[in-house]
Amino acid sequence: MATTAVTSAGIASEAPRSDFGRILAQRERRFAAALLAPAFLALLATTTFPLLFLVYTSAFRMDLAMPFTNGFVGFENYQVLLSDDRFWTSLLVSLVYTGSTVALQVIIGLALALLVMDMKRGQGWFRVIAILPVVLSPAVVGMIWRTFMLAPEFGIVDFLAINAGLGSKNWLGDPTLAMVSVIAIHTWQWTPFAFMVLLASLASLPEDIYEAARLDRASAWQRFRRITLPLLRPAIVMVIIMRTMVALTAFAAIFTVTAGGPGTATEILNLYAYRKSFTELSIGYGSALAVALLIVTIIISGILFAMRRAK
Amino acid sequence: MTAKRLRVFALLAISMIFLLAWAFPILWSVLNSLKTDSDVLAYPPKLVFAPTWEAYRDVLFGSGSILPNLLSSVIISVGTTIVTMLMAVPAAYALARLRFRGKKFAGFYVLATQMLPPVGIIIPYFLVLRNIGWIDTYQGIILIYLSFSLPFAIWLLVSYFEDIPFEMEEAAYLDGASRLKTLWRIIIPQVRGGIAVTVVFVFLNAWNEFLFAVVLSGNTVRPVTVAMFNFVSVEQTLWAKLAAVSVLAMLPVVVLGVVAQKHIVKGLTVGAVKGGGRR
Repeated sequence: MATTAVTSAGIASEAPRSDFGRILAQRERRFAAALLAPAFLALLATTTFPLLFLVYTSAFRMDLAMPFTNGFVGFENYQVLLSDDRFWTSLLVSLVYTGSTVALQVIIGLALALLVMDMKRGQGWFRVIAILPVVLSPAVVGMIWRTFMLAPEFGIVDFLAINAGLGSKNWLGDPTLAMVSVIAIHTWQWTPFAFMVLLASLASLPEDIYEAARLDRASAWQRFRRITLPLLRPAIVMVIIMRTMVALTAFAAIFTVTAGGPGTATEILNLYAYRKSFTELSIGYGSALAVALLIVTIIISGILFAMRRAK
Repeated sequence: MTAKRLRVFALLAISMIFLLAWAFPILWSVLNSLKTDSDVLAYPPKLVFAPTWEAYRDVLFGSGSILPNLLSSVIISVGTTIVTMLMAVPAAYALARLRFRGKKFAGFYVLATQMLPPVGIIIPYFLVLRNIGWIDTYQGIILIYLSFSLPFAIWLLVSYFEDIPFEMEEAAYLDGASRLKTLWRIIIPQVRGGIAVTVVFVFLNAWNEFLFAVVLSGNTVRPVTVAMFNFVSVEQTLWAKLAAVSVLAMLPVVVLGVVAQKHIVKGLTVGAVKGGGRR
């Protein structure tokens, strides 16, 4: 094997195969192992071990309310799951919730980033205000919306609806409106994220391409379609991937606002797994639901990463 | 010319609407926290009122004070931050600067752990902690917070470690300094800024966490995000107090967020940039 002593890496490079070099490389390996050990042991204990244990418990009937029926059931939980209407409904709710919130975040965020990019003054306001929603706890955000914004005949949104002639609505009590509300809340909190990321990448685009396009008399739409959008594509795809992962496992905001209700109208798969395990105390089946959620997450991220690689 | 003016006006209007939409719910909570309950309930909503600290006095020093919950949040967040940083700084240094077999896999593993849905972690964890009596304890909750804070902190720190020129280390080695000494004396001071940003984000995420907290909390450990529910019950909602608690829960993260403003995009997108293409 050829020695590739990268000079800038100096001692840290793959050392020449002399005894001295070998000793150095070995020392480096040991040093790296010592530095990595605590973090990796902690990650094994808090992520890999729970995953294995989760798969294991999903093969059991484990009812905390009725412990006498507990026992190994093999794949039974998964068979039940496949014919469980509530599972399929929650999966659909998850997909609608994720699809619409991500689409709204990207579209509004991009439009706003383009708009703010052209502003000569006042960009600073956007940069500061946009930070506020994204640093807040989704639980607190949910609580504020549930009460001061959406409560019938009290919340500001209801007040605006009444004044707009729409009349007071039961924003969180009506199944359709509740779904619209939780989607709106998530969009409210996370659009600033898409906005900030896209604004940052817009700001880093080379200026001279636009000059050339202007000299060629390209219209604003052409410039957007032919230059901005292709250059921005990696950032847009990245935002889509990140936001999709978060939306699929959204919990706190929905939990505080509707707790999945009314009925199961806003119960995304994540919330169903939680309710099954910790409200209905059916841990074995809840584990199977969580495994299903993991599989859905892997499939969707696989599709998105393929999209990212495709040109 | 008028068309251009109309355009400017429209842009300004749209901007104002969005700024207001984002700021309003937060502002409205602040206003409501300074009202009496009857002012909060007034219809149409009151923008002008006699401000009072009553709600804050009640939630902080009245019966059912949330001071213990704020303390709980602080202990959890500070504890998580300290443990995370002690583990993440060395690990990130190794991943960014050292050569060893399996490095790529190690980096991928750290990223992949973030794919696990939190609900899939908490179910088995709940069973384990229940068996060893760690429900409602700080060590139980801080341990599980590592599941999301560690991968995040490692990746954010790696991006800062990678920015330091290699010459710094070489010079130190040539002077005969040991590896550990070099890391401590030469490298760490170089990434002070990155460490500070990471601390802010880890603290923020721990402060805001809800799912693990709601499952693992009890009478001893009950962070403010969970305790907030005491103020909304089926019988009655204590409006002004709820607003005050919300504001208290928001205050630290808003301050930190505004302070770390310049770094927030980097902090929010860490991992994703690394995930697919670049390495």
